Amino acid sequence: MGNKQTIFTPEQLDAYQDCTFFTRKEILRLFYRYRDLAPQLVPLDYSDKPDVMLPYELISSMPELKDNPFRQRIAEVFSEDGEGNMTLDDFLDMFSVLSEMAPRDLKAYYAFKIYDFNNDDYICKSDLEKTVNKLTRHELTPEEVSLVCEKVIEEADLDNDGKLSLEDFQHMIVRAPDFLSTFHIRI
Amino acid sequence: MSYHYNEAFENPDYHNSETLESDRRKASQTNSMFRQNPYDSSPYDSYTDHDGREQRQNYSVDIPMATMQPGLEVSQSAKRWGTPNANPYGNTHINHSFEYEPEFMYTPPSTLSTVDGPFARRSSDASEASIVQRRNRQRADPVFTTSSDFDRTDANAAAYNENKESQEEKIIRNLASMTTRERIKAIQKMPKTMKEKREIRNKVLMEKTRKSVSYSTEIHCCTQCMYKIALSYRRFRNGLSELFQSLQLWQKTLKIIGGKFGTSVLSYFVFLTWLLTFNIFSFLVNFSFITIPQFIAAGSNNLSFTGLELLTGAGYFQQTVLYYGFYTNSTITKIENSTSYDMQLAYIFTIGIYFVICFFSLVYSMAKSFRNNFVNPHTYSGNAGKLLCIWDFNITNEKAVRLKQKNLSTQIKEALSEGKSEDLNLSLKQRMVHIAIHLAAWIFSLGTTAVCCTCVYYLSINNLKLFMKGDGTELENQAATLVLPIVVSLLNLLTPFIFSLLELLEKFQYPRNQIYVTITRNVILKMSIIGILCYYWLNIVAISATECWETLVGQDIYRLVVVDFLFCLLGSFFGEFVRRIIGTKCLKNLGVPEFDIARNVLGLIYVQTLTWIGIFFSPLLPAIQMIFFFIIFYVKKVSLMMNCQPPRKVWRASQMTTLFIFLLFFPSFTGVLSVVAITIWRLNPSEKCGPFRGLSSIFDAVSRWIDVLTNYPRSAWVVWIYHNLIESVHFFFILTVIIIIITYLYWQIIEGRKIMVRLLHEQIINEGKDKMFLLEKLRALQTSTRDTPARKGASQQFSTTSSLYQPPGQLDQQRHLSMPNYLERPLEKNKSTFSATPPYTADFPERSGFLPGDPQRQHPSTKPGVSEALALAMRARQQAEREMEDEDEEDFRS
Repeated sequence: MGNKQTIFTPEQLDAYQDCTFFTRKEILRLFYRYRDLAPQLVPLDYSDKPDVMLPYELISSMPELKDNPFRQRIAEVFSEDGEGNMTLDDFLDMFSVLSEMAPRDLKAYYAFKIYDFNNDDYICKSDLEKTVNKLTRHELTPEEVSLVCEKVIEEADLDNDGKLSLEDFQHMIVRAPDFLSTFHIRI
Repeated sequence: MSYHYNEAFENPDYHNSETLESDRRKASQTNSMFRQNPYDSSPYDSYTDHDGREQRQNYSVDIPMATMQPGLEVSQSAKRWGTPNANPYGNTHINHSFEYEPEFMYTPPSTLSTVDGPFARRSSDASEASIVQRRNRQRADPVFTTSSDFDRTDANAAAYNENKESQEEKIIRNLASMTTRERIKAIQKMPKTMKEKREIRNKVLMEKTRKSVSYSTEIHCCTQCMYKIALSYRRFRNGLSELFQSLQLWQKTLKIIGGKFGTSVLSYFVFLTWLLTFNIFSFLVNFSFITIPQFIAAGSNNLSFTGLELLTGAGYFQQTVLYYGFYTNSTITKIENSTSYDMQLAYIFTIGIYFVICFFSLVYSMAKSFRNNFVNPHTYSGNAGKLLCIWDFNITNEKAVRLKQKNLSTQIKEALSEGKSEDLNLSLKQRMVHIAIHLAAWIFSLGTTAVCCTCVYYLSINNLKLFMKGDGTELENQAATLVLPIVVSLLNLLTPFIFSLLELLEKFQYPRNQIYVTITRNVILKMSIIGILCYYWLNIVAISATECWETLVGQDIYRLVVVDFLFCLLGSFFGEFVRRIIGTKCLKNLGVPEFDIARNVLGLIYVQTLTWIGIFFSPLLPAIQMIFFFIIFYVKKVSLMMNCQPPRKVWRASQMTTLFIFLLFFPSFTGVLSVVAITIWRLNPSEKCGPFRGLSSIFDAVSRWIDVLTNYPRSAWVVWIYHNLIESVHFFFILTVIIIIITYLYWQIIEGRKIMVRLLHEQIINEGKDKMFLLEKLRALQTSTRDTPARKGASQQFSTTSSLYQPPGQLDQQRHLSMPNYLERPLEKNKSTFSATPPYTADFPERSGFLPGDPQRQHPSTKPGVSEALALAMRARQQAEREMEDEDEEDFRS
């Protein structure tokens, strides 16, 4: 118990609990996970809100993200500076969205952002090509990749604008029930 | 809740980027056309007190077009014209169809009404950036795709922030009016950074406390107290949920399995732990309410223990709390003259209540699973969903990631080649052959099942005879009892292999169908074997002349469970370990085995069914099952880690889990319920053993209890409930009718919704088509207008000056492409007339905003034909907007 008090004030913990899908214990566990990435950088006392930010290199070395082909996108999407450098808040946010409790819509929103490589609020063909290449580790020929992407757009693009908007994406997600269980990182 | 996830759209980038790629391409060209439009220069002084909302939606428009001309004094021009919205085109891009979401229909804070100050500053800030962008735009088209970057220019930042703040205020007001729980949920669901969420939360809390304080200072203390209680209650609840979470078994192991094998294999283990918790609960209930009282009243057990009993469950165990026969029928009293414990009632109510709880928890998890995973199974689409949803973020193992990527690429290749060959239609003859093969396979599998059942039936009757005769040595007898369970387990283990051989013959078009067919066949096999066994127990053993038939049934089930457990271990040894040795050492093309999820899960369902049946005859069976599941978990885990590779096929884990829960409910649990119901209501309990000895049926215990209760006036309600609800046929009749009616109603609603979904889907497609059509028109228009500037030098000059007053919306490509948006409006309102009339005139009669004396009307149009029509359309739209703004302003004032 005493240990908890030294890291966060009860108010901070309450705030974290209200803003994420985690319980107190999980928040502390995540804090330790965060701290383990760079024990010399992250202080054990967070009650005075130190301004600590871990660089992307450290974040992506986490075993949960290390081998994920989308790790860079995940880190970029959830980091406040958009470059993958994460504060504890970003870190908690990321795992909150990727937790089991997060609703489909929230997950879909962030999944959309992750697949939207060029940040233009659309998944266009180039985004899809990048996704396919990441998914298959460049094992497909460029023709195959572009064929697949065309098919995907043709199938999911409801308003015929040649790219997937968030609505299109959500519509697709609703029909893919596995998404909820696969867009999930256990802590 | 008034807002949910749509908060995402609060980001103005999102709205404003709602233009088409093709629009962007045309951006530079449209500019040239706009610039020379004479209407640009007309001062719209009435617009100076533009509604704040307009500005917020248009915040990016706030930079005058002058920025396109490096040498000009931007701020001056801005002041001169007073408003950024002077250009009709500036307004037109607002698409009311999607931008004005109800939750954002609020009146702006007053700060926005002071347009001039911030506006001038903004425009000068932006000039440099916009020039660069402008050049880029003209030079290279691809730049346009990165449009959202432009939104972040300094110039926009201020407006953006203002916009955000006011939206935030609205959100906060909304949140403050919610209950604590709703509010937390809403905040959690916001797609924002933690910092923003925390800010919102703090503001909401402040708002709340301010409100409560302002209500009355007298009850301040009271509210404070209430607040504290609420807070501590919340902390308590959080603590409780934490406790529950820590009770969940094997979090870490599950994570490792998920990381290495993905969600599909993980689903087996999740299912296993779920069943385990069922059994733990069942064990706790039975142990505490049936077994512990029995311990108090138990006599001594003088049977010898040899060790073979562990396997057969007979002998020593007959006289233990393991079986029905050992339980007493008397009331248990520890202290004289105190309240007694009626064993009969305890037995029947414990098991009854356990089944009721099981029923509801099964229905609940089934419904939840259906809701989440079977959203609309008909529309499950192949490629798109597959591609973007397929990545399993659970997987953390490098090798697994590689393998998954490889599998994915082969899958995609397969899908592509399938797509090519799909057009080949099968001829009639081929189709007939296919159907014949399927039919033959079904006949074969059902025949096998029938043979298995007959085999089990005769063996079981033989088993009973053997038991009744009881000749031979004790050891022989005990060994003989093991024949039946071993044969049953062998059948259960081997027949699925035969079924999987059938798969090779059948060659299904979709692997999905293959999985479903195999599962159906296996379920039919397992359930008919259990059905035959139940028939044997209830119709043959129960009326046989044995001393205590319930214990006999309990022993049978015990043996079945134990032997099945052993076969499960053997199965993972031979099926996975030996298979891997063969696969890696001898036959290299076999490769490393995969974990067969369907077979394993069906095995679990089978065992769980047996356990449920056995609960009545052997109340401590869940404890044994619990131990077995525990061991199975570790054995399977080790075997999986050592021997298996991640599955290659796509296994739609969530749908499969739903299916398995359904299977656990439908043939399994409902079957168990009927077996238990027959036992309780129909059958005669044994004369000389068990808690219900001497009764004509087990349920008599309850009726007798009710008879006793009628003497006590205080418990009259129990009697009333018993007579009017439980015993009454009418009540159940009415209940059934009501349930059928409700089901029918819901079914109708579902049908209606399906139609609705179809219509909406069609509508979306039509909208898309309309959009494309409009774009075509627009393109045609643009090509025709582009010629004019070259021809008319004077108007060109004019356009350079007028471009001063172009709204800065042109800074952002996606924003200044107002054309499709304003054209969309008539599309929506006059959808029917639209196809008949050109888009830009469709709306005219409705909004006759241009009066004959209107100065704009007198302006000479550079082109009488199309551009005039365009101008008219825009004027009409402006008029409509002005009206709307007026309305809004009125709203604001009121």
